[in-house]
Order: sequence, then C-alpha cells, then structure tokens
Amino acid sequence: MEDDPKKKTDVPVSRRGFLKLAAGAGIAGGASSLSGCLVNEQKVGDSGWLPQQYRVPGNWPVQVRGRIPIDPANPAITRDDAKCVLCGQCQEVCEKIQTVHGHYELPVKDDFICIHCGQCSLWCPTAAITETFSIAKVDAALADPGKIVIVQTAPATRVALGEEFGMPVGSWVQGQQISALRKLGFARVFDTNFSADLTIVEEATELVARITGKGGKHPLPQLTSCCPGWVKFVEYFYPDLIPNLSTAKSPQQMMGALIKTYYAKTGNIDPEKIFSVSVMPCTGKKFEIDRPEYHAAARYWNRPHLRDMDAVLTTRELASMIKRANLNFPELPEGSYDPLLGASSGAGLIFGNSGGVMEAAVRSAYFYLTGNKAPPEAFEFKKVRGLEGVKEASLSIPGVGPLHVAVIHGLKNARVVMDKVRAGNSRYHFIEVMSCPGGCVSGGGQPRSSTPPGDEMRRMRTAAIYQRDAGQNLRESYKNPEIKQLYANFLGEPCGELAHKLLHTDYVSRADRLQPKKPQKT
Amino acid sequence: MTKSVLLDLTQCIGCGACTVACKLWNQLEFADGAPATGEKAVKDHSNWTTVTFRKVQKDGAPVWRFVKEQCLHCLEPACVSVCFAKALQISKEGAVVYRPDLCVGCRYCMLGCPFSVPKYEWQRSLPNVSKCQMCAGKIAQGEVPACVGACPTGAMTFGERDDNLALARQRIEQGNGRYINHIYGEKEAGGTRWLYLSDVDFSKLGMVTNVPEVPIASFTDDYLRWTVPLLAGGALLFTALRHYTKRRNDIESSQASQKESKKK
Ligand code: SF4
Ligand code: SF4
Ligand code: SF4
Ligand code: SF4
Repeated sequence: MEDDPKKKTDVPVSRRGFLKLAAGAGIAGGASSLSGCLVNEQKVGDSGWLPQQYRVPGNWPVQVRGRIPIDPANPAITRDDAKCVLCGQCQEVCEKIQTVHGHYELPVKDDFICIHCGQCSLWCPTAAITETFSIAKVDAALADPGKIVIVQTAPATRVALGEEFGMPVGSWVQGQQISALRKLGFARVFDTNFSADLTIVEEATELVARITGKGGKHPLPQLTSCCPGWVKFVEYFYPDLIPNLSTAKSPQQMMGALIKTYYAKTGNIDPEKIFSVSVMPCTGKKFEIDRPEYHAAARYWNRPHLRDMDAVLTTRELASMIKRANLNFPELPEGSYDPLLGASSGAGLIFGNSGGVMEAAVRSAYFYLTGNKAPPEAFEFKKVRGLEGVKEASLSIPGVGPLHVAVIHGLKNARVVMDKVRAGNSRYHFIEVMSCPGGCVSGGGQPRSSTPPGDEMRRMRTAAIYQRDAGQNLRESYKNPEIKQLYANFLGEPCGELAHKLLHTDYVSRADRLQPKKPQKT
Repeated sequence: MTKSVLLDLTQCIGCGACTVACKLWNQLEFADGAPATGEKAVKDHSNWTTVTFRKVQKDGAPVWRFVKEQCLHCLEPACVSVCFAKALQISKEGAVVYRPDLCVGCRYCMLGCPFSVPKYEWQRSLPNVSKCQMCAGKIAQGEVPACVGACPTGAMTFGERDDNLALARQRIEQGNGRYINHIYGEKEAGGTRWLYLSDVDFSKLGMVTNVPEVPIASFTDDYLRWTVPLLAGGALLFTALRHYTKRRNDIESSQASQKESKKK
C-alpha cells in the first residue's frame, strides 16, 4: 500500500487545493482501479429504524400504512415531519371514523380533502400533528395598546381545560378559566353559551317554519350547522343536501358578528379596534373564521377588511398560555362573564356534547309550536344522550304530531343516515350532527387524554355538562334575559331582517373538488 | 435480476410518508429550511427523496400533482462510469449504491448524472456524496424499499423491471386515456429502474425530459479511456487522493462511535 499508516495525515487538504488536484482529471481513476486495495466496506444509510409493519419481506398488504396528506396551507392542522413515526393512526381516524381520507377517487383534483376536525391531532401519538398555532397572533394583539382584545369561551372547554393542570377528567373550571383569561390580559370575557342560546332561538324558529310549511327552499329534515367539519363534509360529499342545512351560523360566528356590531355599537367602540378571539375545543373553528360567507361585520359597517373573528385558540393552546404565564390554574378564583353577551341557559351549555344541540332545540321549538313549556322529558332527553353513534327519538307535540329527530356523532355514522335522507327514506324532521365522536367535549382541540381517545373520557366530560344543566334554573334558550334584550334593542325578530344579515349564512358546494368514491358493499 | 419501482403519479396524494420513511431508514436529518415536501421541496444531501407539490393545468382545469423524485437508478449509470474510484457500484439487485470508503470526493458523479441526483455534504469538512441507495440492504433481504412500503395508496410497485414495464403498458392501454402514453424511465438515459406513469406531461411536472435515450455512460467511457496513458504520472496524485479518503474514513469511524444513532 502506498500510504504509510504512521505518516502524519492531518495536514488539512484545502478544498481549493484538492479541487485543483481533482481537476487534473481521471489519472487516479486508473490508479485506483489498478491498485485493487479496498478498505473496510462501508455503506451509507440503510440501517435505521422503521415501524415493525414495514419490515416484512415481500409485498404483503399492511393494515395500517402511511399517513394522511396535509395541505401546507391548511388553516387548522399542521405536522412536524421530524416527529412522525409513520404509525398510521391519523389515517385510521380520518378514513375509518371520519370517512374523509380514502373516500374520494384518485387522482386528486385541486384540493387536499380535509374537514379540519383535528381528530388526527388527537390520535397522533407523538403530537407530530397539531393545530396551526395562533398564540403569536393573540400575543401581538394583547401587546398592542390600540386593540381591545375580547375573548369568548366555548361550552366544552370548561370541562376539559382542568385536565391540563392535573385536575380529574370532567372537572368544572368555568370560573378559573375566566380568571385566567383576565390575568392573561383579555379585556372582556364573553360566553359562547350565550350565542349557543341565540343559535337555538334562530335554529328552532327556522325549524318551526320548515315544519309549518314556511321553509321555502329549505326542506326537512333540517340539519344542524354549528359544526364546521360537518358543514364542510356536506359541501364535499352531500352537496345536494346543502338546502337542508340550517342557515343559522355557529355560536362562534354569531358571537363574532355581534361583538363587532351590537357590542361595538352599545359600548361605542370602533369595531376596527376590537380583536376578537375564541377559545374552542375545535380545530375546525380556525377554518371557519376564514370563510368569506361569514364576514358579517364587514358588510354591516361596509368595511371589507373587517373579520368577525380574528383568532381561534384551542383548549390546548390556552393551556399552554396559562402555563407560560405560570398561573396556578386550579387555585384561581372563580371569575364571571362580562354582561351583555355573557348570560346563558343550560340549553346553551349542552351544545358541548353530542345530543345537546338537539335537546336544547327541542326545548325551544316545543315552546314556539305550542306556546307551552316543553314536557319534562325534554329536560332529560335520555334517548339523545349517550355515546351511541346514531340516536333516534320522537316527541309528540300537541297540534303538530310526532317530531322525529336523530343525533349523530362521527361522520361515518352520518353517512349512513345521509344516504337514507338522500334516498328519501328518512322520517326525521331534525338531525343533529357533530363530526367528533362524543361531540365537542372530545373535539380536535381538546387536551389529549389517552391514545386513542377513549369513551370513558367522553362520558366524564359530558356528565359534567349535564350535571350543570340540571342544576340550573334557566334551562331554555328563549328565556335567556340577555337574548331577550338583544332582540328588543338590536336585532328585532328571530329570523328577521337584521338577524338574517348577521346570524345566518349560506354554503358553497365543493363537489367539484373531488370525485366521491362509490360506496363499497361490504 | 433488475429490481425496479413503478411509480404511478396519479395515485400520489402528497402525504410525504415516503420521505419520512426514507429519512427514518437512512438516518437522514430533518433540517429546518430544507423541507422534503411541498412547493419548495429541497433536493439535498439529507433529502434523498422529495415530493414536490405542483399546481398544473390539465384539460384547462387546475390540478394538483405531487412528484416524488429520487435517484432513478439508471441501467447504465453515468455516475458509475465516471467514478474512477469505483465508489458507485451496481448491486446484485440492481441498486446504484455509493461506497463512502472508496469515494475520493471528486464529485464527477454529480457532473455526470443527467438528473443531477448526487448531492454533496457541503456542510461537512470532509464531505461524502449522498443519494438514494434504493434501500439496497433492505431489498437484498427481500423487503421493499422503505418509501415504497410506507405509501398509503400503493402508488409504487416494486418488482422486476420487465414486469413493471408490462404493468405500466397495461395500465396505459386499459386506462381509457387516463394516462399519457409515456413511461418515463423506459428509455430516458438508456433506461432507468424507477419508472413513472402520469396523466400530465412530465415536463410540466418539473422532471428532466431533455435527456438522450442513449446511456450517458457510452460517452463517458470514451472519455475515460484517455486516462490510461496518463496513469504513469498519476502516482503522486493518487497518494494525495488516498490520504483524503483515509483521513475522512478515520474521522468517520471515530465519530461513528460517538454518534447517537436515533433521530432527534
Ligand atoms: S382534520 Fe379531520 S378530516 Fe382533516 S385530516 Fe385530520 S382527521 Fe382528516
Ligand atoms: S399519527 Fe402522527 S406519527 Fe402517526 S403517521 Fe400520523 S402524523 Fe405520523
Ligand atoms: S429507495 Fe430507499 S433510499 Fe431511495 S428514496 Fe426510497 S427510501 Fe430513500
Ligand atoms: S407515500 Fe405515496 S402517496 Fe404519500 S407522497 Fe409518497 S408516493 Fe405520494
């Protein structure tokens, strides 16, 4: 061998010097081939780690393989590749529970089909998938002295946020959450339960119109519209049922519209100064705030750049802000909501779990149809409670007849019922659908409990909500005093002209973005 | 035996699982600012495969396509023929593999490759060349390449090249116009082991389409022939190159013992 092992070899070969040598062409090529002297054989790569299911010889089918695609511009979810272990859980939930991934033909058109439910972020064991973070945006607004930062909190966050601080599953932390938000610098804290009551008043009024034959272009069954994932699912896969969707906006968007119109007017605040934030159990809400159909304040004030909602924080994001501020969350005093958009009934609260919207709506619709308080069974509507995938119930309404309702959570279950509706084989008048199994209590933005998220957790969070509803005097949306005040001083009639302008919306067919897969007979 | 992968671009949903599988199996870095997927996917030493997101037109309508690229493993690879150090070799199964212990760092392979596949580890003081190995060790054990196995839609088929060509032709024939009539890699650069099917023109997808159909290696062999008469004067130069390789190998083995093999 030419080189003497003892010869000092640490004289650095400068790159330039070396390149000069190398530029001298392939002289050494021949030399190397002739020399035939090889050192220990080395290779690059080819010796790392892969999950066991990928380490089999041959082309065996693998039950769980790969992962879901995520649009780099997805407003709700994002992924850190460095944390992904290719376990395929995201794909399992998206394909088998939500029936989104794998339910359209390839090649794709011009969309990454996603309804933004965020269930994949809950199932992902390494938290490679997360919500797209909005904390920086909220921080900037809180630091801006020219901004009045207003926040609203969804029904379901108050039974889950405590888990992030070591409290038992289902701990009721409404008051601590309010105090924490005030300490973080939010100027007003409003309750999305208020606008859930408002949603019920509008949606029940709409339902009554459809039942009494005044629905116009909007047929029965009426489908709920408060879940942005469900709405986008209809727009993709059941565009023919768009007229069945209630035109009422979701509670988040109703609140957003009112803060920059009613509240701004009443408090004499320039709506431009308001930065409106929500704390949601949901990643889909981050998608919802960008829907152009929802920019009601912009139209009301004729200022096109105004957005009804400026940012959405998930429960997990709020938890991380509280931890960052080092607040001793469980020990915080119990604060209360600010007035005008802060009062709520038990009906608004139960929006947070599967069956809740239906029960709340029935309490009000019964009253609108008969002029009487709904019967006791509408205050513990057992048949629409619980974790059955599709729940059915009927309630007889004097002078109207039986009201047939269905409650669905998880979109795989929704397909079964929607296929019946599509075929004209459904007897339902009103159908509630929430994308996430269990409803918003286990929404895609809620604290992770275990993987995959379990029913025990869903039951405990839901039980906390029903318990509060049962203990409340005010349990019907139409009785909410601040709702009455809102109609009297600002909106006029439910489903009236201004209510329509601010609180109702329309939807867009997304049928041209995909080719649905033909249902496979199993 | 020449193993091959048929990649049907119409089946790719852009999930990027293949790029992650490649990095996990080959212990490549997930570098900030050098994504392996997306509209600005970066082809570099730690991204042996990339999935580039392309917004193109098809029949007057916008469509999104995802183009997985990696070394095409040519039948007659230019990189192999220009490498005087024999650091690029063809494995028994047909993978074009790189031997860092033999590489002198001349980077002729990078100049020679018509697809600009080999990358250089510029950030290292004594760099290696870096490129897809077709998971040579994995396929030698009868497994499929890491990326192929991780694909949720089965967009890639691993098998004998002749079988894959037949499959590709069959898909084009039975596809009712679904595919363009072009199997990329059948003839490009004299034929490659990775083959592609698509429903939009490959040039629109940013793939190299201006390569000759004769193997690049047929030119380089001519050129290399001239090096033999020059050999006599080459002893000194060769010693210098050997030092380069040896020094890097030494450093490598001392680092390898410290290096944490798990990814971050
Ligand atoms: S957010 Fe929901 S629809 Fe979107 S990828 Fe995740 S699970 Fe699927
Ligand atoms: S669930 Fe998370 S870790 Fe598993 S494949 Fe999906 S993104 Fe990767
Ligand atoms: S064949 Fe192996 S090395 Fe090549 S791109 Fe696929 S995973 Fe990476
Ligand atoms: S794993 Fe398959 S579907 Fe996903 S990006 Fe790679 S080739 Fe496309």
